Amino acid sequence: MPIELLKSLRLHKDKLWSLDCSKGLMATASSDRKIKLVNLQNLDFKLVEELDDSTHKKSVRSVSFRPNSSILAAGSFDSTISIWGKDDSDPLDNPETDLLAIIEGHENEVKGVAWSHSGEFLASCSRDKSVWIWEADELGEEYECLSVLQEHSQDVKHVVWHPNMNLLASSSYDDTIRLWKEDADDWECAAVLNGHEGTVWCSDFEKSEASLRLVSCSDDATVRVWKYVEEGEDGEDIWTLDAILPNIHSRAVYSVNWSSHGYIASAGSDGILAVYKEVEQGNWEVVAQQNEAHSVFEVNMVKWTRVGDKDLILTGGDDGFANVWCFTP
Amino acid sequence: KLLSQRTASNNLHTPDLTDAETEESEYEEAEDPIDAQEIYDMIAHISDPEHPLTLGQLAVVNLSDIEVREKCDKTKISEVVVKITPTITHCSLATLIGLGIRVRLERSLPSRYRINILLKEGSHQSENQVNKQLNDKERVAAACENDQLLGVVSKMLSTCK
Repeated sequence: MPIELLKSLRLHKDKLWSLDCSKGLMATASSDRKIKLVNLQNLDFKLVEELDDSTHKKSVRSVSFRPNSSILAAGSFDSTISIWGKDDSDPLDNPETDLLAIIEGHENEVKGVAWSHSGEFLASCSRDKSVWIWEADELGEEYECLSVLQEHSQDVKHVVWHPNMNLLASSSYDDTIRLWKEDADDWECAAVLNGHEGTVWCSDFEKSEASLRLVSCSDDATVRVWKYVEEGEDGEDIWTLDAILPNIHSRAVYSVNWSSHGYIASAGSDGILAVYKEVEQGNWEVVAQQNEAHSVFEVNMVKWTRVGDKDLILTGGDDGFANVWCFTP
Repeated sequence: KLLSQRTASNNLHTPDLTDAETEESEYEEAEDPIDAQEIYDMIAHISDPEHPLTLGQLAVVNLSDIEVREKCDKTKISEVVVKITPTITHCSLATLIGLGIRVRLERSLPSRYRINILLKEGSHQSENQVNKQLNDKERVAAACENDQLLGVVSKMLSTCK
């Protein structure tokens, strides 16, 4: 089995919804309204800080680190987004993270937050059916709303940016994925991906300069890969379904993540963590499957990261645990 | 006081297995498998939000519309499917009733049960919409943090034994 459990971290008293990593730190978000920071360096996985839990009045649903920084955005069911930061000179085992800003604007539950590759933009999405694009200053303290995108017909569950372009993907309860790009002074919908037969919970871009693809997962228990074809005559981008990944899951798939070396990981309600490899263009095989990745609990999040020379898969579940898996191809 | 009594009585039927530290005892404990009758007994006494009757009395929940897909191995995920029949096909409270049933079962059943709440086929004009909402864990989680909604649900559940 190429995946092996390295560490099981009991961090939260309720559902662990989301996690993210940057500069040796992992942040986790939970229904217990707390955000916790864990040191990943040297693989010692020590809990190093608990952020002020009076900040959010309801579940913290999503966390995202600004690339190459320690600035963290957290979206909550209380409809606000909090921004946190520490001095880069703070030691990792004893950071002192401060609240830098609270962003208000969404009408109700914020479900996803994500930073663009350059750290210039923050995207957020909500049950209010909208996606907001914010421009951040360098310190992460000032936020200006550049655009409110209201073309989804239902809740927007998740947002993610392309790893090196200003291209955003949003996943929705309306069963579609929309792609958004900058056009002159505004942001516009570049494409709509139809095909899932249920809520789309999450998507992620391929980490490649050579091709432009997106993987998505859904309540319909499938994981699908979409491929950019060309710009259409009406200015809309043309995307096509590239592959449906092997049918491993029996229930909703909540999270999907594309690694920098080309593997895709997925996890969901059935407790299965799966890793897929593309054996030839558009043809994927399962290379690892971990059942009961969080015992009998649902898995909400899966994320690749690299610490030292190890490829790690981090998962978060309804048991409030973050599990750290070592992946050896 | 009432709440703690209710929790205690639930535990007689369904030991709380949510604590991972008790995982070892999970294997040893001779837990009776849960059957449809037990599920029915958990939810039949829920009060209807607008009638002075219970969901069992109104035949919104029926024993024949409850299915338990039980795995013998207690470390595996099992499924419960409850189909509800609203009293009228345009019942605006169908979602609330479904939420009440879900909350009751989530609080009573061990974590290994995945709970699926569906409207009985043909029983409601917005069947698909209501089903989608009732089985969206994020919407359910958010609803359970809405004090007003939770107040209504608590009132519905206050007649449960």
